[in-house]
Amino acid sequence: MIALYRLAFLGLLIFLWWVASINVGRNLVPSPLATFQAAQVMIGEGRLATALWDSLSIYLSGYAMAIVVAIPIGVAMGAFRVLGKTVELYLYGLAATPRVAFIPLVIVLLGLGFEAKVFIVFLGAIMPILINTYAGVLDADEELIEMARSVGLRRTRIFVQIVLPSAVPFVIVGLRLGATIGLINTVVAELYTAVRGLGGLLAIYGNTFRMAEYFVVVLTLAAIGIVVTEALRYLETRLGRWRKAA
Amino acid sequence: MSMDRPIDGIDGRTEPGPGRSPAGAVPGARIVLDNVVKSFTSAGSAKSVLALKDVSLSIEDGAFVALLGPSGCGKTTILRLVNGLILPDSGTVRVSGKAPAPGPNAGFVFQSFRLIPWTNVLGNVAFALSATRLSGAEKTERARRYVELVGLGRFAEAYPSELSGGMKQRVALARALATEPDILLMDEPFASIDAQTRELMQIELMRLWTMRRSVALFVTHSVDEAILLADKIVLMGPRPGRILEVIDVGLERPRWSYDLRAHPRYIELRNYLWERIRDLVMNDPGSDFYGRDLGVMSSSGRSD
Repeated sequence: MIALYRLAFLGLLIFLWWVASINVGRNLVPSPLATFQAAQVMIGEGRLATALWDSLSIYLSGYAMAIVVAIPIGVAMGAFRVLGKTVELYLYGLAATPRVAFIPLVIVLLGLGFEAKVFIVFLGAIMPILINTYAGVLDADEELIEMARSVGLRRTRIFVQIVLPSAVPFVIVGLRLGATIGLINTVVAELYTAVRGLGGLLAIYGNTFRMAEYFVVVLTLAAIGIVVTEALRYLETRLGRWRKAA
Repeated sequence: MSMDRPIDGIDGRTEPGPGRSPAGAVPGARIVLDNVVKSFTSAGSAKSVLALKDVSLSIEDGAFVALLGPSGCGKTTILRLVNGLILPDSGTVRVSGKAPAPGPNAGFVFQSFRLIPWTNVLGNVAFALSATRLSGAEKTERARRYVELVGLGRFAEAYPSELSGGMKQRVALARALATEPDILLMDEPFASIDAQTRELMQIELMRLWTMRRSVALFVTHSVDEAILLADKIVLMGPRPGRILEVIDVGLERPRWSYDLRAHPRYIELRNYLWERIRDLVMNDPGSDFYGRDLGVMSSSGRSD
């Protein structure tokens, strides 16, 4: 039923888009049909697929690196309170600094290629994952921990069986935030370093006012966003089945 | 203070001395507390609060003991000391002749259930067996048996969020019983469930406990609950937490087979305990009722 409503809403959006394209002028907002035709051409020529592959490989590599680094550090910070208390202040500071500020430095260090782009994505995605993992570990229910102690479990097993599972919902929130920021940084990286991928196409079509092609790229980025967040939502419901009944 | 008042009329009741209850520390009992002192420093203040002052108590095997008293008299602290979750500042705690350590030898039922939300009923009960040497299959089998025993067989696969308060407390009870412990520690287990369910759970607890009589230490605010369940009632006072007296209940078991509330002994005990607690609360500067005349209430209404 909700799928039907969503489809109807999509229809409404396309209708509004069409109204806008008639009233604003074709040079700024292309009609849905023109966009669709542009998409057909771009897919036919393989331009879209190449750009998509470029961007996805950068996005997923940077995101995966961020996950692999952030979760263990967040867990360690939560497990060793002194470490967490010492480091957290600087992490919050770093998280608040716009990551774009680091791009010139990254270019100097890693150049304009794949590595630099992956690193920019990594920089954007790591902070929300790390901070949420840390918060999740700290948030573990003291009463459940005491219950586990009463049962006779030692500290490491309490950590594995009580503290870590209770941090999972926080980690997933971090993953979702990290996925969004990672995608933004993918485009930013492609605009600021070697102009390639979907970000590169945005720059080219935007500068030459080819708005139909430009819209195809924007919609492709939106589709990536939807696929990734929906995948994480699915993971969340799978892991949080116990919560459903509440 | 009311504790200095001479007492008479009820058998088993004895003059309490400061710091040393009549039941004192008897060597060889299952649980022995000898001159235990415990204080806590609350977060954000340098002042420490004396939770227990010179508490001595002995509990024999097979006894059901209720710790009764107003808030802040260290009832829960005694349970945590006996479980080995905390250590006394001074004095000694002995369980089966040794310093207690948390583990499968004691089962703890908490007021707030404390079920693991991401694990089903069976998993929650089996969790108590984590530190035992049972194999995986044995743990599951044992857990299933105790889930059946508390009447939740149909809900073995359900998650805690799908259960009512009474059912959650049954799971917590099954978890505490599943290790077949020597000691059962219960911290106001029925305080957060509704009145009808509470009465049924009290009978359920008596049934389960009679099947396998371990030592039971039961913390409660409720005079009626203490008389209904216990062989001995340990009356405690607040600020500092201390034992005032130990009273033998002396009512026949099983207590649900006759009209307990009409029994003269029940009425006598109930009136006496309610009067003592009222005095304690009114003379305690830390209580909301300090200095108020609650005399009009003493003969009416239930004390819980």
